[in-house]
Amino acid sequence: MTHPTDDELVLHFYGEHAPAERTRIDAHLGGCAACQSLWDEIGRTLTAAGDADVPEPPAGFERVMWARVSAALPPRTSPWSWRALVPLTSFGALAIALAMGGRTPAPEPPALQTAEATPSRDAERLEARERALFTALDGHLAQTEMLLIELMNGPDRATSDFGFARTTAEDLVASGRLYRATAESTGNRRVAAVLEDLEPVLVEVARGPEQVNSATVRSLRERIDDEGLLFKVRAVTPEPRDR
Amino acid sequence: MPPLTTGRGPRLTEQMHLDDAAAVAKATGGDEDAFRVLVERHSRSVYRLAYRMTGRAEDAEDVVQETFVRAYKQLARFESRSNFATWLYRIGFNCAIDYLRARPKRETGEAHEELDRRPIRADGPTMDDLVFAGEVGARLQQALSTLSAQERAAFLMRHYHGYSIEEICGALELKTNAAKHSIFRAVRKMRVALRPLMDRGSALSTL
Repeated sequence: MTHPTDDELVLHFYGEHAPAERTRIDAHLGGCAACQSLWDEIGRTLTAAGDADVPEPPAGFERVMWARVSAALPPRTSPWSWRALVPLTSFGALAIALAMGGRTPAPEPPALQTAEATPSRDAERLEARERALFTALDGHLAQTEMLLIELMNGPDRATSDFGFARTTAEDLVASGRLYRATAESTGNRRVAAVLEDLEPVLVEVARGPEQVNSATVRSLRERIDDEGLLFKVRAVTPEPRDR
Repeated sequence: MPPLTTGRGPRLTEQMHLDDAAAVAKATGGDEDAFRVLVERHSRSVYRLAYRMTGRAEDAEDVVQETFVRAYKQLARFESRSNFATWLYRIGFNCAIDYLRARPKRETGEAHEELDRRPIRADGPTMDDLVFAGEVGARLQQALSTLSAQERAAFLMRHYHGYSIEEICGALELKTNAAKHSIFRAVRKMRVALRPLMDRGSALSTL
């Protein structure tokens, strides 16, 4: 009588044997108490291992992950997609602000060149500026939303590293001011108001220390929550059809 | 899974109903919303895989991110007749292997001896309680941390994701014997790590 080895019983557990071998081992287990006991032990261990829980990620994990993934994706098709604009927020805002002032003609995105002509030249320019604002604003708001989500959902630790958040917030403060000026000059008071509401929190992060304690993180989260900043950002984020 | 639509409008709502194959087709054509659907649909399961591989939440999150970024870059190579989740997990395991190889070796949990010294109370928990309390998970993680990244991946693929030995060989570019030995080694470690719990469970169940 050949007893199956431990390794053969492992393969048996996983159903890796051919039918003939399976039958042979099953028949052997039926008549050999020692092998049956070993088989039971392997089975119990692997079943317990299978039941072991993995801690679930926090609520909203999917959205946070999308924010992280989308920021890391390479540009794929259109160079004017919002992702391509994210790293250029400051530059984009500057270009638009200059265009609004009429001093430097900003290059228009391809999408704008196909815009329908409007009766008045001024109205046409205003509409083009508004579209340019919304196109570039999309990237700014996406990055702001991503930062807020990360601040809200980061792991609870005694001390958190805010190095990256600080740099991002600094960029967002600079570009946000330019977008706000642009929004005001084109009459987009709602967008301007949201950008104004965002600035104090972004400034707080940008000027804060690199290592932040849990009480500061909690207070920041409460502030973001109380002021409904995430909701406000989402509310003014242009839908694809608006761009 | 939480709704995807908060603050995102009707377009994403429509995309939510796409099956994986349709979402991949759209995402391959540059549709970011379609790719977002795939990320939001599969990120939790990739996280579980990554957590089992790395044993740390922060590391698992990094692996999930890298998995989707790699998947995005390789979308054109995805064959529509395949299962997207299986394809994605394959990428996830390889990302985790790369991540673990690059990560400095460190302690990932309590040592066996430390766990074994924990007192067993007379009114202690049942075997089910122990499982749910995560003690099995802790010991499992400890045992896994002593395996190489490749061995760990081979075992997890077989045990939690139902890959056959042949599929593991394809995914990890291993020879059959190497894949089998990775699994055998992992199971031996599991048995040693979980033996005290198994014995305790048997003793408690006879009371």
